[in-house]
Amino acid sequence: VIAEDSVLLREGVTRILGDAGIEVVGSCETAEDLLLKVRSYAPDVAIVDIRLPPTHTDEGLRAALEIRARHPGVAVLVLSQYVQVALAMKLLADSAEGVGYLLKDRIGNVKDFIGAVRRVEAGGTAIDPIIVSTLLDKRRSDDPLGALTPREREVLVLMAEGSSNQGIADKLVLTLRAVERYVSSIFTKLGLPSSGSESRRVHAVLLYLRS
Amino acid sequence: MTAWAFAQGASVDLTGRPRRLLLLTMALAGCAAAAAVSVISYNIDELGAGVDAVLVGWITLAYVLCGLLAWSRRPESRFGRLMVAAGFGPLLSRLSEVDEGLPQTVGVVCVLLPVVLFLHVFVAYPSGRLEGLLERVVIVAGYTSAIGFGLVGMMLGPSEWNSVIEVVSRPGAGDVMLDAGRIAVVAVALAALCLLAARARASGRALRRSLVRVCFALAVVTGALTVLSRLLDLPAAEPIKWIAFALIGLAPVLLLLGFLRAHLARSAVADLFVELRAEPAPADIQDALARALRDPSLTLVYWLPEFGGYADLDGREVDVRERGVGRAVTLIDRGGAHVAALLHDPALGDEPELLGAVTAAAGMALENGRLQAELRARLEELKGSRARIVDASQAERKRLERNLHDGAQQRLVALSLELDLLEEQLGPNTGASRRLDVLRRQVAVSLEELRELAGGLHPAVVTAHGLAVALEELAAHAPVPVRLTVTIEGRLPETLEVAAYYLVSESLANIGKHARASSATIDVTRHNGEVVVEVVDDGVGGADTERGSGLRGLADRVEALGGRLRVWSPRAGGTTVRAEIPCGL
Repeated sequence: VIAEDSVLLREGVTRILGDAGIEVVGSCETAEDLLLKVRSYAPDVAIVDIRLPPTHTDEGLRAALEIRARHPGVAVLVLSQYVQVALAMKLLADSAEGVGYLLKDRIGNVKDFIGAVRRVEAGGTAIDPIIVSTLLDKRRSDDPLGALTPREREVLVLMAEGSSNQGIADKLVLTLRAVERYVSSIFTKLGLPSSGSESRRVHAVLLYLRS
Repeated sequence: MTAWAFAQGASVDLTGRPRRLLLLTMALAGCAAAAAVSVISYNIDELGAGVDAVLVGWITLAYVLCGLLAWSRRPESRFGRLMVAAGFGPLLSRLSEVDEGLPQTVGVVCVLLPVVLFLHVFVAYPSGRLEGLLERVVIVAGYTSAIGFGLVGMMLGPSEWNSVIEVVSRPGAGDVMLDAGRIAVVAVALAALCLLAARARASGRALRRSLVRVCFALAVVTGALTVLSRLLDLPAAEPIKWIAFALIGLAPVLLLLGFLRAHLARSAVADLFVELRAEPAPADIQDALARALRDPSLTLVYWLPEFGGYADLDGREVDVRERGVGRAVTLIDRGGAHVAALLHDPALGDEPELLGAVTAAAGMALENGRLQAELRARLEELKGSRARIVDASQAERKRLERNLHDGAQQRLVALSLELDLLEEQLGPNTGASRRLDVLRRQVAVSLEELRELAGGLHPAVVTAHGLAVALEELAAHAPVPVRLTVTIEGRLPETLEVAAYYLVSESLANIGKHARASSATIDVTRHNGEVVVEVVDDGVGGADTERGSGLRGLADRVEALGGRLRVWSPRAGGTTVRAEIPCGL
């Protein structure tokens, strides 16, 4: 299901998803309509523009939070024109499972966008690189991030964006084992427990970066 | 004689406050005159000469001393000088009892002068001036007939007196002339009595003044009878004379009391000033004025420029030209414009200085009140227009931001989507696909720029998601580590949130540019109905609050919302920017 008030974008997204073999079961303009459609179609993913009528403020975000609360089986990918850490964290408040927060511009890069939709659908996480870089650039008084090697930093960024170990290995042209080594080294340096699923891992990393 | 000349000279020369030496000399001369007149009177071989001596001495002393007092306290009024002159009258008159040629001649010529002098004093009360033509005619006639008939009589060598100016010896004719003088002076006294009565009718109810006037009238009547007793063989001539003398002597005492009251009234004016300084309500102003003027019937009416008329405290229109019986009007004007008017007892016209002072005080207080009200109104208006300007500019920026977002941004995203699809269809590594990739990047840069532009126009995230969310982003991008604390639940009025957002944004930018700080804190709290936004850094301080246009603009924004912006920036002591904005919740 897609909720997006700009016809142009709604049609564009519908088309690229269709081209990628993802079926769009419904599209709508308002948050109310979206909730109705999610309930009746029970889709795998809901793609939601954060700014929806009537007030164009936070209707989309509220609808996304409601879907997360009422329909845990439906993954939510929020498209936003703001680069807002706080908004992303609102969405990720409880868990990072099946959640995405992307800048709207990302739609322009079809491959990445489709990848994010698939990742979210599979219960993973998709966090916009700008959010991650904002968090990483955030200045801290005593910064354990400074202890990371440049390679570890790269891995951390991809991890925070929601990439799986395999995804990181592919992007950085590394072996899976090497990635796992980096990950455990990062967790040790940041003092985080390195257990749990990948989405839990994302959650922990983001919470850590935000604090 | 010398004292008389002195008094005359002094009254001509001096218009300002008399010198102390002159007053002292006059007082001594007065005492001497009183002593002389008592001695002369005592030596007259008549029944009751002792009583005479005491009364005439008292009259001389009372008039001279009271006159000097009035003269020194109110030099601008002629009344004091007139009284002093009148005080020396009895001495001149009593010279007629001295059995020497020259003094007796002078004495007989001036024998009626004291009567006219006292009449003059009574008629000229309280200003010392003869206001009307009739009064002037009466008094001039009095002086002329008193001196004229006496002079002519003495030239004719009257039977009873030694005259040094005798021209022809016609004793019978001389006696007739002297009697004619008496009759003329009695006539003048009666005329003066009529004038006093007429004035008493026109005047108000001030008890003290009526008392003075009654005293005057009785003095005139008994004085006239005394003069007549020389002509006719009236019964009880002596007691009448004594009553007349006593009344004449009583008048200055009453005047002195009145003068003291007027003195008290001046201190009432001082009290009035103090009272009016405390910005009293209109009804209180009226009461204060009534107290200061001792006129409980006083009414204060305000000039209403928009109606072109006066109205009283209840808003009823009052036509000040249409005076009621026994009412007088004093207009209070400032700078050529009407402010108010007092409707009061016409008797207050006798105390023009008091009325003038009170009017001036009231005028000042009323004008002050009006100016302050006007100032407050303008300030209110200014505040309103400032808030409206901020609101309007904010609304306009918001509209622009929306247009950018809904229009250009969406189109660019859609365009970049199309380009991507096109690139995929063309397949990789063709010349066209490379060109497309360049285009796509350009679109991405445009989107980035557009987002920044829109964000600068209006922080839409504040409107959509609230201050706390927006501030977190600012803190994340801050040039130094920031500890952010927002203890406000829920949303605030939009203009307030936007102002607070810009305040933090500008403060953080300043910290990056100037402060060389190592950390900063941002606190947003609610305190006593105000939202307090405080940004503190630990940098070098010394921020110039006057020159930084950024801070000035922030102050404008905050003040437009009725708040205050304060900046503490001691050298090497960090900088604190604190805004307190009433949130009206």
